[in-house]
Amino acid sequence: MDLTQITSSVLASGPEIIIILGACVALMLSLVPRPGQGALLAGLSLVMIALAAAMSLTLAQNPQTAYGGMFVNDGFSTFFKMLLYLGTALTILISDRYLGTEDAAKGEYYVLLLFALSGAMIMVSGKDLLIIYVGLELQALSIYVLVGFLTTNTRSNEAALKYVILGAFSSGLLLFGLSLLYGLTGTTQLEAMGEALDSVETSSPLLALATVFLIVGLLFKVGAVPFHMWVPDIYEGAPSPVTGFMSTVGKVAAVAVILRLLIQDLAMLDPIWRGSVEAVAVLTLAAGSFAALVQTNIKRMLAYSSIAHGGFLLLGLLAGGSEGLASVMLYLLIFTVTNLGLFAVIVLLNRGAGQGENIQDFSGLAKSQPGVALMALVFLLSLAGIPPTGGFFAKFYVLVALVDAGFVLLAVFAVLLSAIAAWFYLRVIMLMYMEQNDQPAVFQVSPAIGWALIVTFTGTVLTGVLPAWFLGVSKAAATAGLG
Amino acid sequence: MEEMLREYLPILVFLAVAVGLGIVLILAAVVLAVRNPDPEKVSAYECGFNAFDDARMKFDVRFYLVSILFIIFDLEIAFLFPWAVGFKDISMTGFWSMMVFLGVLTIGFAYEWKKGALEWE
Amino acid sequence: MTDLPVLSILILLPAVGAVLTPFLRKDPIVRWFSLLVLFADFLLALWVLLNFDPNTAAMQFGEHRVWVPNLGISYRLGIDGISVWFVVLTSLLGWICVLASWWSISIRVKEFMTCLLAMQSLMIGVFCALDMILFYILWEAMLVPMYLIIGIWGGANRVYAAFKFFLYTLAGSLLFLIGILLLYFGGGQTFDVLALMEVQYPFPLQIWVFLAFLVAFAVKIPMVPVHTWLPDAHVQAPTAGSIILAGVLLKMGAYGFLRFSLPMLPDASQYFAPMMIALSAVAIVYGGFLALAQSDIKKLIAYSSVSHMGFITLGLFTFDAKGMSGAVIQMFNHGITTGALFLFVGIIYERTHSRDIAAYGGLIKVVPLFGILFAAFLLSSMALPGLNGFIGELLVLAAAFGVSGWAGAAGALGALVGAAYLLGVYRQMLLGEVKTPGDVFVWDLGRRELACAAPLLLFVVWFGLYPKPFLTILQPSLDHLMTQLNPTAVTP
Repeated sequence: MDLTQITSSVLASGPEIIIILGACVALMLSLVPRPGQGALLAGLSLVMIALAAAMSLTLAQNPQTAYGGMFVNDGFSTFFKMLLYLGTALTILISDRYLGTEDAAKGEYYVLLLFALSGAMIMVSGKDLLIIYVGLELQALSIYVLVGFLTTNTRSNEAALKYVILGAFSSGLLLFGLSLLYGLTGTTQLEAMGEALDSVETSSPLLALATVFLIVGLLFKVGAVPFHMWVPDIYEGAPSPVTGFMSTVGKVAAVAVILRLLIQDLAMLDPIWRGSVEAVAVLTLAAGSFAALVQTNIKRMLAYSSIAHGGFLLLGLLAGGSEGLASVMLYLLIFTVTNLGLFAVIVLLNRGAGQGENIQDFSGLAKSQPGVALMALVFLLSLAGIPPTGGFFAKFYVLVALVDAGFVLLAVFAVLLSAIAAWFYLRVIMLMYMEQNDQPAVFQVSPAIGWALIVTFTGTVLTGVLPAWFLGVSKAAATAGLG
Repeated sequence: MEEMLREYLPILVFLAVAVGLGIVLILAAVVLAVRNPDPEKVSAYECGFNAFDDARMKFDVRFYLVSILFIIFDLEIAFLFPWAVGFKDISMTGFWSMMVFLGVLTIGFAYEWKKGALEWE
Repeated sequence: MTDLPVLSILILLPAVGAVLTPFLRKDPIVRWFSLLVLFADFLLALWVLLNFDPNTAAMQFGEHRVWVPNLGISYRLGIDGISVWFVVLTSLLGWICVLASWWSISIRVKEFMTCLLAMQSLMIGVFCALDMILFYILWEAMLVPMYLIIGIWGGANRVYAAFKFFLYTLAGSLLFLIGILLLYFGGGQTFDVLALMEVQYPFPLQIWVFLAFLVAFAVKIPMVPVHTWLPDAHVQAPTAGSIILAGVLLKMGAYGFLRFSLPMLPDASQYFAPMMIALSAVAIVYGGFLALAQSDIKKLIAYSSVSHMGFITLGLFTFDAKGMSGAVIQMFNHGITTGALFLFVGIIYERTHSRDIAAYGGLIKVVPLFGILFAAFLLSSMALPGLNGFIGELLVLAAAFGVSGWAGAAGALGALVGAAYLLGVYRQMLLGEVKTPGDVFVWDLGRRELACAAPLLLFVVWFGLYPKPFLTILQPSLDHLMTQLNPTAVTP
């Protein structure tokens, strides 16, 4: 590699470098405690994210590969990176208040968020199994610490420990699958691997074994049934903004990798995994929807809801093609906005020491805080997929892709299960609007959370009323991804 | 594919021999060994003094911290050696790559220093 | 005609009102504001009716804007001789609902009026929409304000009823969505309703789509056996909610059959007609007998709705010109009459807080105005000749006898049972010894309540005596529908 190649590679990975640099600076700044440090670090992180976003958009003008084909900047990765920036920025906006009420304000929080973001970005841009794996681990390790960030809260500690063990376990499975693939093809680069696999019989048992481990490892990361057991405990125990972060940014990155591997570069594996993933998708939808019905903790309920949404994402994956790809991407966009909006409300309801996370704490919200309740109403309807919110179009597009690809039965399953899922979102609405509460939630909406709410609310409504632009963007990105 | 797998056959044989030998040795001890226990024999062995504590005692967590720090710098050295040996042949790219690596390490080092990870008390 | 996007204004006026309402300060202002908006909407609807060209079956006041081009969804509006009547009906009941809840809704007035205005906008939109997805979005979005209306301002068991309403309808309408997609990919490649009507679908596809649509519409109508949400929703809903439910929402199911199932899936409709007629007959008789057994006046009217809606589906699936027009007339009239009945039940409930039929007696002596008008609406619901209910029911029965003696007999039996329970209410509540629940004082209709009842009464008498204007506007569209049902019947 000569200098020009190096320079262009460094430039191509500019956004990642900016974020990591920002994380390092924030780490140094966090060492010198001063009043208003949280706001300073949050502001710095937001600036860095904005810079990285600007750079990503500039780079998207001419797609290129870097580092000898191990790293790529295409429309596909840019779309996902934008989602990651959005998710992280919203998480940062809702974090300050939460850290305050939980008395856990420490500078490392934002540093870890930025490191997790950079890991996720590397996953999205990786065109090489090892790069993807390194990104995955960077993201996962940062999130492990974030989950256990409430050091005096036993639930948080428990969640972190569980997450470390299960995360390591699933990474191990994934790595085993990757190593088998390497053994079969002699390369870790995706494009070369795809070409090499064309000459391998799909009935080869070794290839089947590799695919199984790969799929299991990836499904673990998105929390699909039967690898979903870790999700509820960890979502419940983690600090609320971190839960929001995991359910959006973490999921976006994992799904991006799945799409990159299964639909784009290693599409020839399709006949091996299709049958089992069909079953997994239906089971995921069903288990998520039914289990959420009986939850009493809002974060736990959203954990199951997020599992169910994962099922919808898998359906989009099954539909395949550019339509299926685009539907998954639009779904992730809308889910990110909506879910983080709801987490902003959850953060507002938090009273410290894990209080205020019961579903009952929502009761009477429409009376004490009509504005926030209205926004929560819209977020919940969007998650349930009721028009005219974004969630409807997200689900609708997946259904369009499914029916177009001929999977009518799966579409019928999906809609029936989402009718069941509507019940638990409605229950929260019922509590907010129809229940009396002697001690209604009293809180002031801080400016940061106010902005987060405005952005998410506008996004949720806009994607529902004028979805054309968002659809166009995801479709363009999907087409770019398929090359 | 088939040929490639055949190349791994010696490894498989080696593994089988290793596992088999291990099992044989353990079983042999069970079958052949003379068992004649007395208190002196079965007590924990401490060099120079009588056993005075339970062997399952807690370690101070600071030991872990020190050992982790050691691993990091150990790896750093492992990278630095080949770099220094081949320094003549690598270009400025190689030099700056290592500088970036050392810079990142330095940031981490400053962080742990400031956090007091290097102090025993 | 005119360049002004009248239908959009008709739809958006209440929507804008709904957005503005939360910013108003005091409850009286909110009430007057909502009344004003909805009355203006009603006047606009009347203007549309007067400017409606009765000589064509084509869609009028059409509008078309590209909305989501990448999915082929557009904002397409238009009304024909059938839907124009439902637009008028909806806008009429809208401001009546505001008046009916003037004092009875005393808590969270702002939110209530917001829901009502939003409902109005969505309902008018449903009747104007000519794009399947637009229709679906409006149809489903309607669940939310209705859910809140029942759940917040309803009776003691309101939450249960609201949930039941929401989930029943949602489960049905989601299958409707799949049906739409099947139509799209099964040959149409468009969501334009008029274009989809032109497509000839293969028979097996028609069967599946018909079943998917059936679930959605049957829940909404509601047909037996998916009618069980209706009594709960009606009993628990506040007066305005009941009026909207009975007056407009139930009609949407039948409207769905008229607009989508029959013209787009003629073969499947023919195929399933015997089943539909049988279900309708069951609904008529079963609903009637259930109504006969009720002691709660709201429940009684709810079950009578099941029975009367059975007449509508019966008429639709006779595939006979008489039966069709009878069904459409019955749809409109049922909306007026049942809306009025719920209004009157609401009025008396406001005074006594009891819905127990047996607790009342001789009201006509105490509150003569109330008594006479209530009696008029009861008789209209009973299909007394000279009032509006008669003509529709007669046409449906005639057509039903033409198709099957059993269906006709069931219809006739239903009409008889209907007379029995409605007259039972009449005798118990209005005649006989004077009594009120708990002997509370009841006073006669006020000016506000008269203002609600008068236009409804006007329609009841007008359509009873002189239905010709109604039929003139309706006929071309119905004829067109008939040709769509029997493609062979078209003579060049």
